[in-house]
Amino acid sequence: MPAELLTFAQLVLNGLALGAAYALVALGFVLVLNATGAVNFAQGDMVMLGGYAAVALARALPVPGLLLLPLVMAAMAGFGLLFSALAWRPFRHRPPIFGLLATVALGLALQEAMNALEGAGPQAGPALLGVGEIRLGPLGLSRASLGILLACLGLGLAQGWLLGRTQFGRRLRASAQDPVTARALGIPVDRLIAVSFMLAAALAGAVGLLLSGPYFVTPTSGTDLILRAYIAVAIGGWGSLRGAVVGALLIALFESVVAGYASSVAATAALYGAVLLLLMVRPSGLFPAPLGRRA
Amino acid sequence: MLRLDRVGILRGGAVDVDLAAGITALLGPNGAGKTELLEAVMGLRRPLAGSIYLDGADIARWTPERRSRAGIGWCPEGRRIFPGLSVMENLELVATVGRMERRRRLDRVLGYLPALADKRGAAAWTLSGGQQQMLAIGRALMTAPRILLLDEPSRGLAPVLVADLFALLRMLADDGLTILLAEQAVAAALNIADRGLVLEHGRLQASGTAAEIRTHAALERSLLGAGRYS
Amino acid sequence: MMRPASLVGLAIALWLLVVLLLGSGYEQRLMALAAGYALMAIGYQLVFGQAGALSLAQGACFAIGAYTAGILGGRLGWPLWAELPAVVLVPAALAGLAHTPVRRLDGHFFALATLGFAVLVRLVAVDAQGLTGGANGLVGVPAFGRGPGAMLVGWSLVGLGAALALWLTRGGNGPALALVRGDADLARASGLDPERIRARGFVLAAGFAGAGGALQAHVLGLVSPDVAEFSVMVGCLAMVVIGGRGSVMGAVLGALLIGHLPEWLRPLGASYRVAYGLGLFACLLVAPAGLIGSLERFWPMRRAARPVAGQRAAPAVATLRIDGVEKSYGGIAVLRDVTLEVRPGEIVGLIGPNGSGKTTLVNLISGLDRPDRGTISLGERRLDRLSPDRIALAGVARSFQTPAPPDGMAPLDLVTAALAAKRGCAGFGAAAELEPLQGRAADLLQRAWSTDIARALALDPAVLLLDEPAAGLDAGERDRLGLLLRALAAEGRGLLVIEHDMGFLMGLVDRVAVLLDGRIALIGTPDAVRADPGVRAAYLGTVPC
Repeated sequence: MPAELLTFAQLVLNGLALGAAYALVALGFVLVLNATGAVNFAQGDMVMLGGYAAVALARALPVPGLLLLPLVMAAMAGFGLLFSALAWRPFRHRPPIFGLLATVALGLALQEAMNALEGAGPQAGPALLGVGEIRLGPLGLSRASLGILLACLGLGLAQGWLLGRTQFGRRLRASAQDPVTARALGIPVDRLIAVSFMLAAALAGAVGLLLSGPYFVTPTSGTDLILRAYIAVAIGGWGSLRGAVVGALLIALFESVVAGYASSVAATAALYGAVLLLLMVRPSGLFPAPLGRRA
Repeated sequence: MLRLDRVGILRGGAVDVDLAAGITALLGPNGAGKTELLEAVMGLRRPLAGSIYLDGADIARWTPERRSRAGIGWCPEGRRIFPGLSVMENLELVATVGRMERRRRLDRVLGYLPALADKRGAAAWTLSGGQQQMLAIGRALMTAPRILLLDEPSRGLAPVLVADLFALLRMLADDGLTILLAEQAVAAALNIADRGLVLEHGRLQASGTAAEIRTHAALERSLLGAGRYS
Repeated sequence: MMRPASLVGLAIALWLLVVLLLGSGYEQRLMALAAGYALMAIGYQLVFGQAGALSLAQGACFAIGAYTAGILGGRLGWPLWAELPAVVLVPAALAGLAHTPVRRLDGHFFALATLGFAVLVRLVAVDAQGLTGGANGLVGVPAFGRGPGAMLVGWSLVGLGAALALWLTRGGNGPALALVRGDADLARASGLDPERIRARGFVLAAGFAGAGGALQAHVLGLVSPDVAEFSVMVGCLAMVVIGGRGSVMGAVLGALLIGHLPEWLRPLGASYRVAYGLGLFACLLVAPAGLIGSLERFWPMRRAARPVAGQRAAPAVATLRIDGVEKSYGGIAVLRDVTLEVRPGEIVGLIGPNGSGKTTLVNLISGLDRPDRGTISLGERRLDRLSPDRIALAGVARSFQTPAPPDGMAPLDLVTAALAAKRGCAGFGAAAELEPLQGRAADLLQRAWSTDIARALALDPAVLLLDEPAAGLDAGERDRLGLLLRALAAEGRGLLVIEHDMGFLMGLVDRVAVLLDGRIALIGTPDAVRADPGVRAAYLGTVPC
């Protein structure tokens, strides 16, 4: 394989791992968006919280990250329930801007709480599959990236199965599409919404653990993630699950490749420039969701 | 079974109904309050006044979910099937019961609606208007209702499909289902109905057997107008 | 009687005076910094509080102002008088440039686009070493010095800015902006152009933020890249939410509180910012209207506007012509070759079963959608290529089926907004005085009594489209409505009425047009239509199905 092509392939591979993580954040965001029409700006901060939960658990239990994963997810699911009681329930009958601002405020409080507890410095979380690099022919992939890819694939497939194949998933999708009719047909919509928040938080916890190993965690590390997820969901068509995943992968590949050839600053600039261009040409994203409720 | 006691739907009107077994056609022009009446029974809208009783119990504070579990089936205006889900998913998701019972209900519903059986895997939005209406009815039947509320099922359907649809409703009623049918297709509805109600401005203008209603002056007046200003 | 905003203003003035006379140099410096935030927040009220667009670029515009001051005033040594216009115009011009391509976006897509702008500004601040000094920032910006000087300059600017903001939103602008942020479609139907109004708000807000940022640079004597961090934007949001959305005085109050928070919560140490987040949340929970808004809720109501009858000049009359209009959606023809006229002084009824295309026709006439073929004109003027707000101002007004005014808007304000639009109000800047408008609006409400018809009449239309005006009315109200519509026709206005209440419609109209499957099946007198076998079949179903 010629050298240029090899470089490119390596960049794509790195981008995929990052994109997988973005995709999980975006999926959590869309899950709540679909179930409630609410925009959860604290989704990134939940990832951060999950990262710190992983750090704390790893201190107490020196076991591989893979075993900590379910623990972190369960703890975060509980947090999601609390979060829905604070940031969604009191605001559901008000104009959507209030709910959005409430998540911003809670996210800020979370960031600052972690800042006060753990300091602003980066902390390393547990590694999912150990450290080091795996060779795939001429390409290298760190164990951490492999772990992220595999875990995201697994969680993504699990979510796909849950939403697509189970009675719970059918009901969740149905009440997202038409909550009034769903209620009239006997579906407990409120309970499903609470579960959506729990799932979204659990996903955030998983991403937090995955990223805390290779990329460390700081109190502000959620901010960049929520911005990426927000872009992914917007260009993906505001409410489409498939669109969010495609959007997340596109963003990460774009960033990885541009950063590889130019610089990470150029990558960020180009990313937002490209998003502005895209919104000019397609004001409703790549996959406009005719059924998606716009908040 | 279902009794409406001076239920206020629109300002300045109230409705008394004691729903009898069989099919009751709810007639009247748009804006008469038919949809609002059905929504009040389902718990999606709070009536302006009055009470609704199910088997003698006042259900004012019941959630729609609870009313559904108590045996009120819902087939809303415009069908409102879940478009992104498949036909089978639309049917299965509403049955809050174990897998065995779900199967049993599914077999029964597909027995009534054989056309849906051929379309199991299709996404609901790909169905034709008539099939979507059948799906909406099938979905309501999956909640195993005793009383089925139907809001304008004939809207937008070709006459031959309306005939099929109403034949199905008659069959369901003969098998013991109580149906409250809000309709604009007056003649067709009265052909299958046992009783009729004429609603205008949230007020009951006439009620009686289908034959009585068919020749009732209130019906023509409310639907075609009788020149109040001329 | 004094309103809460004036009382709060008085309290703030007292506070400033005390700090100016008795405060330490440090306290005065804090006040000067708060003045910078106040300018940013006042501007943000224009785009977010008033025009209702969630812009996330206000912090970035603040940063642009700071860097403009740092580069022009510091590095290039411009005198203050030359720098001041630049720190307002540069951010405003950049915001205008950034907004033009994304002006059609709304809601979250607009927020995302402005966020993109903010990220780009931050990148330039951190990474364009040559221009912005990168991570080191810019030092050597001429400082106003410690002591009362900086505070005096800062708060003079705030006073000017507040006066300007109040002038920009005065008179008929207030209700017009309330309508734009409450319901964009209803605003369009009332002759307002939400896109243009939001764009103006965005650019004006940027100018205010720029002045605030420049002030901060001159107080600190330097520009640090921290100024471009997203936390500035969050702070700005917090200021307007806590102070009171939409209120100039609320913005000033919010800026003062948020500006002093670190100082007041110093005993909490590093965790003061947790309290900041939680405090913002608590405010959203218990006082969503902000401090000023909550105070106003407990204030006695303002006197109701007294109706002032306008001279009922004869409206400009013209014939509405719909000629060969066709429309299809997704390959399905909804309207086919529809031709219809509404002449001055005539009431035409439009009937047809559900799904026959009545609403589509009204949408085409009022500009919410465009016909595939055919023309629509009023007199000599083609309407079918105009935007809804232009059509509304050109003389075709419509009422809606669900005429509930948007959230928290009083009927009087809704009608006043339409009156302001008719008088050329463009959202910000010069506008007609509020009181005469309200008097006229009260008169229209008294006459039409239905809010949405009064709103439509405020546009003084030659042709009025009414979508189910009798829905939900009782018998007495229907009679009054009938009399009103007759009187409007007698003034020379043409009326097109969609109505399902046949008793009402048949007694009212001169002619009835029957739409069946997207075609005009019949136009005739009520008696002729009632006797028509096709109509009887469609409505009574006497032909076997």
